[in-house]
Amino acid sequence: MIDDPDAISGSDRRHYVDCKDCQARHSRMADDARTVATLLAAPELKVDVASAFKQVQLAPAAKPRFGFGLPILRPASRTMLAGLGAAAVMVALVVTAFANILPLFQPKTVAPVAITVADVQSLQALGDYGTLTWSVNPKPQIVLTADEAKQISGLNVPKVGKLPTGVSSNITYAAMPKAVAVFTFDAKKAEAAAAKTGKALPKLPAGVDGAKLTVTVGPAVIEVFGNLSSKNPNSQDTSGSSSSNANSGPSDINLPQLVVAESTAPLVTSTQVTAKQLENYILSMPGISPQLAASLRAIGDPSTTLLIPVPIQYATSSKVTVQGVPGVALGDNTGAGAGVIWIKNGKVFAVAGFLKQSEVLKIANGLK
Amino acid sequence: MSSRGPLDLDAARETRARIVTSREEAFETLFKNEYARVAGIANRVLADPHEAEDVAQEVFINFHRLHSASAQFAPAWLHRAAAHTALNRLRGRKRREKRELAQAPEEAARTVDPQRMLEVNEDRRLVRAALARMASKPASVLVLRASGLSYAEVAQALGVGTGQIGTLLRRAEAALRKEVTRGTSI
Repeated sequence: MIDDPDAISGSDRRHYVDCKDCQARHSRMADDARTVATLLAAPELKVDVASAFKQVQLAPAAKPRFGFGLPILRPASRTMLAGLGAAAVMVALVVTAFANILPLFQPKTVAPVAITVADVQSLQALGDYGTLTWSVNPKPQIVLTADEAKQISGLNVPKVGKLPTGVSSNITYAAMPKAVAVFTFDAKKAEAAAAKTGKALPKLPAGVDGAKLTVTVGPAVIEVFGNLSSKNPNSQDTSGSSSSNANSGPSDINLPQLVVAESTAPLVTSTQVTAKQLENYILSMPGISPQLAASLRAIGDPSTTLLIPVPIQYATSSKVTVQGVPGVALGDNTGAGAGVIWIKNGKVFAVAGFLKQSEVLKIANGLK
Repeated sequence: MSSRGPLDLDAARETRARIVTSREEAFETLFKNEYARVAGIANRVLADPHEAEDVAQEVFINFHRLHSASAQFAPAWLHRAAAHTALNRLRGRKRREKRELAQAPEEAARTVDPQRMLEVNEDRRLVRAALARMASKPASVLVLRASGLSYAEVAQALGVGTGQIGTLLRRAEAALRKEVTRGTSI
């Protein structure tokens, strides 16, 4: 009625003429609208679209959002998946360091930890402090049906209830059986790595040199919703026919709209070394910021908490309840994407997509 | 199984080049159609044309990295991202206040009535501070509507039904007024 005075029907208009309450409410609303229109006045904006477009074209070449390509788009790149597996192991290793009850660590809940790019670089350097070997190699596979994914992983593939409007019901599955990695601390390698940062390495506690951490990750299964295309216009097509590409438009190349993942919670065992020793040692390494160390120490009950690193420049996090257990909700800074991670019955679950957080939470709560 | 000759490979390369070109063309068309509006939304939030254009370009670059320009949801995505990105910047209070302190004398010098200009700047600062304190959804409804989007366009950008916009807008207007009053009475 305020934005469009003609929208009101004849009978409503007759009622309005006689109703003092409605007139007063309308007057209040109209007053609010006028005030807000004045309040939100902005300085005049003159845009030069052509030069703005040139500016945008000068921006660095498109890169995948999180710095690595989604392996699902390139099923052939197994090395990438193995790399991601190794990264997951490194995260688990860091997590292990904060467990009070070694030799066993098995997370039962999740908690966010704010990290910066510099912290990530420092944590990546931890890989140089010893030797990582796989005793059971990660063997991820891309499959087309839930049954195949179940056969490979042994996990019941989570079923999504009602999909939000706009999300494709096409599902691609990735499944991985259990993988086991062993990380052996090596005092000499650690010294050499620390020397690169130009800072002296803190004294290695007795027993850490040669200590072995055995990390079990997976099995895991990932469901990717979206009309993905394996056709990549930038890659050399040496096998398929060119006619199939001729019919495909740019919209064929899409990112996943929704990803649902389930994995057995990582399990870590260790020899020779206690969690406290490891925690103190890692936190005193050069490159670990005091802020990160403080926030890691502040986590309650670390022996059963899976830490979710949140890059503070790019994402936000909040604590939520999912399926009756505590979880961490993540969002990117533009509000365009959201995700949630939680642990229930020894399994880590994650739901993420280019959706609103409320939609992601609804899907997470509806998972069966 | 037939082997592929050089002509086939050339045709494949041409097809790929066409796809890349059509992607770029679609993006350029989208940019030309939506840039002024996206920058307008950001300007409505930030009340700063330079920073608004900065936000608009950031939003387009992000969109281009993530999505195809021919996607149906493209305008709605851009409008929403413009509002959210600008609101996020607005919430970086320290930086904003610092900039305004530097900018106020400069703007005041350009105007006929420096006193009046200072008052306008102060009003804008208070309103934007109130906007930054509001929840994202009502703040977005206000700025998108104030930027000239129709009820249907606001609804698409926020992923809600068009029928809800009237109510959301009225509540948001009342909330902003209250926030501004709260900010000035302290």
